[in-house]
Amino acid sequence: MSSDPKQELERKLKAYVGVETGPPTPAPEPVNESMIRHWCEAMGDENPAYIDAAAAAGTVHGGIVAPPTMLQGWTLMGIEMADPAKMRKNKQTELHELLSSYGYTSVVATNCDQTYVRYLRPGDRLTATTVIESISEEKATALGIGYFINTRDVYRDQDGAEVGSMLFRVLKFKPAQQPQAAPSATSGGAPAKPTRLKPPRGHDNAWWWDALATGALPIQRCKACGVLRHPPRPMCGACQSVAWDHVFAKGGGTVYSYTVLHHPKFPGYDYPLVCAVIELDEGTRIVSNVVGCAPADVTIGMRVALSVAPVDGGMTLPFFRPAGS
Amino acid sequence: MALTWETIREGDVLPELKKRPGVTQLVKYAAGSGDFNPLHHDFQFPQAKQLGSIIVHGRFKYAALGELVSNWLGHAGRIRKISCQYRAMDFPDREFVCRGTVTRKWEERGERLVALAIWTESDDGKKTTPGEAIVALRA
Repeated sequence: MSSDPKQELERKLKAYVGVETGPPTPAPEPVNESMIRHWCEAMGDENPAYIDAAAAAGTVHGGIVAPPTMLQGWTLMGIEMADPAKMRKNKQTELHELLSSYGYTSVVATNCDQTYVRYLRPGDRLTATTVIESISEEKATALGIGYFINTRDVYRDQDGAEVGSMLFRVLKFKPAQQPQAAPSATSGGAPAKPTRLKPPRGHDNAWWWDALATGALPIQRCKACGVLRHPPRPMCGACQSVAWDHVFAKGGGTVYSYTVLHHPKFPGYDYPLVCAVIELDEGTRIVSNVVGCAPADVTIGMRVALSVAPVDGGMTLPFFRPAGS
Repeated sequence: MALTWETIREGDVLPELKKRPGVTQLVKYAAGSGDFNPLHHDFQFPQAKQLGSIIVHGRFKYAALGELVSNWLGHAGRIRKISCQYRAMDFPDREFVCRGTVTRKWEERGERLVALAIWTESDDGKKTTPGEAIVALRA
């Protein structure tokens, strides 16, 4: 089990949660009118409160202030960010390198949430502290599978008073699509077909995937009260027993509910995709796909039959077809 | 006409703000903001090659939303909070529009507060960066 790279990675990730990324980062220079002007020029923001002392005197601020959204800019690393060799190391860069080494090489920001206690004035000297607040479980997204990392920055002034804070979330992920810049070396060959997202496999459900790979659909059963359950989990919801075994589905079922997915189109799936809750004749329900008929022909209450099939060479999944087809 | 607490109504629509950052503006922004992540200026950066382009800084879109709110507010008050989700990427030389509406107006502990729904919309009509702002008006 310790040789499973994902478990190994997730054990390592835990060590970063709640950790300050390093000592407080002082801004290299005080808040100043030149940087404010550069920023406003870059944004195309001509608001006089930021650049014209006379006009700024008449605002609620009583003088020049920095645009509030500039907050993080005072302590960002700047040109160093473009050269990993020069970039100062801290726990956050270390965490990103760790994920990259496991194949989660890409990163995108997904959320930014800033709170301003007060607007900054020329002369303010900021210091930032960053804490890695949380790291999600592995998630499947349209970009690829990855981990969401939440950090929280607190910005303080020369008196140690908090002037603002920021929650920032990034997704560090394995790109779902083959890089466009790396087509098959022998030109003319079809690009590799993207594969489906791999479902999470862990201590509580690995047995289910292994049993499914034999070509039958296992259903977990409580040893104490006999109630069936799916998806696999350690405890019976009916009697709280943790003793369980499993039976195999005979293959009959009914469409309990369904939806037809058109967007967003995840690579590796054919659309429109019928995603259905199937009530198995044994008495529990499973989310699966209805295949072998047009999406418009699927109805609630329709009888379906199980078909276990390999996909993407290496994964086995249960599907359901119209009964008798 | 200056914005005042009395004239603000829930449902008010903010004057829209259009942005069309090209590569030059993004380079200027990298210098102005300190955000030199190569994904925003270097077409040879692996992730940029994979996407087929550099992308607009999330922080640029965030700041544009701040500008939208500040322009409306006219410094008759202060921004307390801006949050946004980066739902989709924006690319250089493509126009996006910042929009907003007043969703709530209330008083709390002697403060006059207004909540706004804000978002950026790309040229194909997608809301790429939805968010929320809270501002405090001058008492």
